[in-house]
Amino acid sequence: MSSDLTELHDELRAVAREVLAAARRRGADGEPPSLDRQTLTASGWLGLEVPEALEGAGATLAEVAVVLHEMGRAPLRSGYLGSAVLGVGALNLLEPTGRRDDLLGQIASGAVRVAVGLPTGDDVVGPVAPCYSLEEDGRRLRLRGRAAFVPDATDADRLLLLARDPASTLVVVAAQPTDAGLRVAEQRVLDLTRNLGEIAAEGAEVAEGSVWRFAADPEASARRLMDRAALAIACDSLGLAEAMMEATVAYAGVRHQFGRPIGSFQAVQHACADMLVQVMVSRELVGTAVELLGCETPGSGRAVSMAKSHACAMAVDVVGKAMQLHGGIGYTWESGVHAYLKRAVLNRSLFGSPTAHRKRLGQRYLDGVSVLSED
Amino acid sequence: MTSPPPPDPEPFRAEVREWCRTHVPTGWRDAQTGVSDEEFVSFQKQWFGELREAGYAVPHWPLAWGGGLSVGEQIVLYQELAAHDAPRLVLAFVAIHHAASTLLAAGTDEQRARHLPAILDGEIWVQGFSEPDAGSDLASLRTAARREGDAYVVNGQKLWASGAKYAGWCLLLARTDPGAPKRHGISYFLLDMRSQGVEVRPIRQATGESHFSEIFLNDVEIPATHLIGPENGGWQVAQATLSAERGMTMLELAERLGHAGFTWLLDACRRPNAEGLRPIDDSLVLDRLAGFETEIAGLRAMCRSLAVRHETGHVGPADASVVKLYYSELLQRMTNFGADVAGLAGSTRIIKPMSSGWESGAWVLDFIGSWEWTIPGGTSEIQRTIIAERALQMPRA
Repeated sequence: MSSDLTELHDELRAVAREVLAAARRRGADGEPPSLDRQTLTASGWLGLEVPEALEGAGATLAEVAVVLHEMGRAPLRSGYLGSAVLGVGALNLLEPTGRRDDLLGQIASGAVRVAVGLPTGDDVVGPVAPCYSLEEDGRRLRLRGRAAFVPDATDADRLLLLARDPASTLVVVAAQPTDAGLRVAEQRVLDLTRNLGEIAAEGAEVAEGSVWRFAADPEASARRLMDRAALAIACDSLGLAEAMMEATVAYAGVRHQFGRPIGSFQAVQHACADMLVQVMVSRELVGTAVELLGCETPGSGRAVSMAKSHACAMAVDVVGKAMQLHGGIGYTWESGVHAYLKRAVLNRSLFGSPTAHRKRLGQRYLDGVSVLSED
Repeated sequence: MTSPPPPDPEPFRAEVREWCRTHVPTGWRDAQTGVSDEEFVSFQKQWFGELREAGYAVPHWPLAWGGGLSVGEQIVLYQELAAHDAPRLVLAFVAIHHAASTLLAAGTDEQRARHLPAILDGEIWVQGFSEPDAGSDLASLRTAARREGDAYVVNGQKLWASGAKYAGWCLLLARTDPGAPKRHGISYFLLDMRSQGVEVRPIRQATGESHFSEIFLNDVEIPATHLIGPENGGWQVAQATLSAERGMTMLELAERLGHAGFTWLLDACRRPNAEGLRPIDDSLVLDRLAGFETEIAGLRAMCRSLAVRHETGHVGPADASVVKLYYSELLQRMTNFGADVAGLAGSTRIIKPMSSGWESGAWVLDFIGSWEWTIPGGTSEIQRTIIAERALQMPRA
């Protein structure tokens, strides 16, 4: 990475940290902590990966990963994942058309919020199995299917739904939540920092112009989109773990028991050292995956599954340990550690569990290919 | 995000690959299983000679002394040596790494000129640091060096000296000022192992082998010119050279774990057991394998980052401890799993090939041998304390 790019990332990171911390401080009691739409739009993060010609920043996944990491450090409800990560990510994989370009521009400007209907559980790995299918009904096309736990579904103005067309080709169906035959419902979850919902299509009529096609191989493109989703969550979990590690180290330095800071006890020190080691390993795996997926390198899927399985399992361990080392105060609602733990647990399952991603890795050993020659 | 290493020097990779294809001895693992000490030493010296001829034996040394490869090239070199399952430089390890970096950092011109070319000619070195009562608390070492005229007279006992029975020279820490605070009264010496009063007694270790020895020092005279660094400044010299060493040596070991190590593990899982079942067909085994591949990928990336940070001067205060701790515990978990998968048959492998890495496919022995990584060079507990105090800046106990 050039030093210019490193500098750019450092700057983006510093700004993001400040903006998100301020938004968390502003949070009202009893309300789910959120990043308001105005601040998100003003940040410019929504259009990071939107081409410059469409009023975006023309940046890459690497910059989006910086923002995702910071959002993990300061978890808030925002439409970022649905619109900027999955929405823009999906649109950038599609054939360029006027409608697609308009939507990209509207996402960048904050005018339109998007949710993408993808598999969100363990079905995210393996052969692409979209949640929706298009059926011919006379001369009409009708959409059927249901995606659950879709990020930012209930706030979305537009829906992009991954489907198989009647010829079994993967396409993206662009819809409005208000379309007849579509139903969007919030799914309440313990983690108040995420907004998840179900999008059900019960024979919704789809206009010809709303079926958007991938620019390259549809199966590979859809795979990339799902890998992007999994990697986004890995970035978030890395941020969560990092923030909780830092909070724990800081707390252990000020909390006194037996007449000394608890951070001077070896049991506490060693637990924190283990946190750092695990965070550093995940940081490498996530960094590698961002780099490989960003430049479409073969083997990026493997790197994503490594990053997702490691970072998301690691974050639950680290945040759990953070709650333990904070002692009684860590178990209070007020301390906020619970919010990180809930998000870490949800992240672990969202877009494929560690077990599912390791199963994808393990499949290669069974296929008999030389695992090492892939490098 | 961490910076990726600079672009691969691809022509260099091709060169190393070609060299490996023509030089790595085929079947060396079988040939080196159950060999005598003499055969082991002769094989090691011959392999070292071949690497030296190619310019690959001491890539991390300065150009003037016979090294001069860039960090990127060193990474490529160790990746390719691992990928081609080349024998490891076990015997020369302390000489080319610890002795050389100490000489380069703190040696006089005469000391460098005397020893660096000799190391290239095959001079073997051993580290004389630990003592019976100075393990994790190394600074409490008691071996005493008393100045008498142009020499120091040394008395004491060293323990866990790896390869001492083969060594011509020893990196010795001894106390020169018994009155000073313990880290300020230690000096660093270059000890000729053929000196009068040096006695080496091999220790039989848990694996049944004898890599380590005790060294007894009875009125051993060391010429004052063999003091390295300032008198009573030995602790600081040792600290500086020990952690500086970790980058590339850990990278080599990580690459080996990723190539030979993981390949052996896959093989073990694909081999039908006594009941005719392949472990790999069990989804739990597959899950563990994928976990290990992931951890190894993380370790390798961490080592590459550390090597690059080393070059740019951005090494964190405990990076070396992080890598050592993670490697050694991963090795232990992985060899434990290998032993589990190998089952009863694993216990029938009663010798492992010499010159191999820490993973040889003789899983039970590899597993037992893994404590040779979690204990020496600062135990895992010491590493965690270093990480907590230096990287996380937690309050000292």
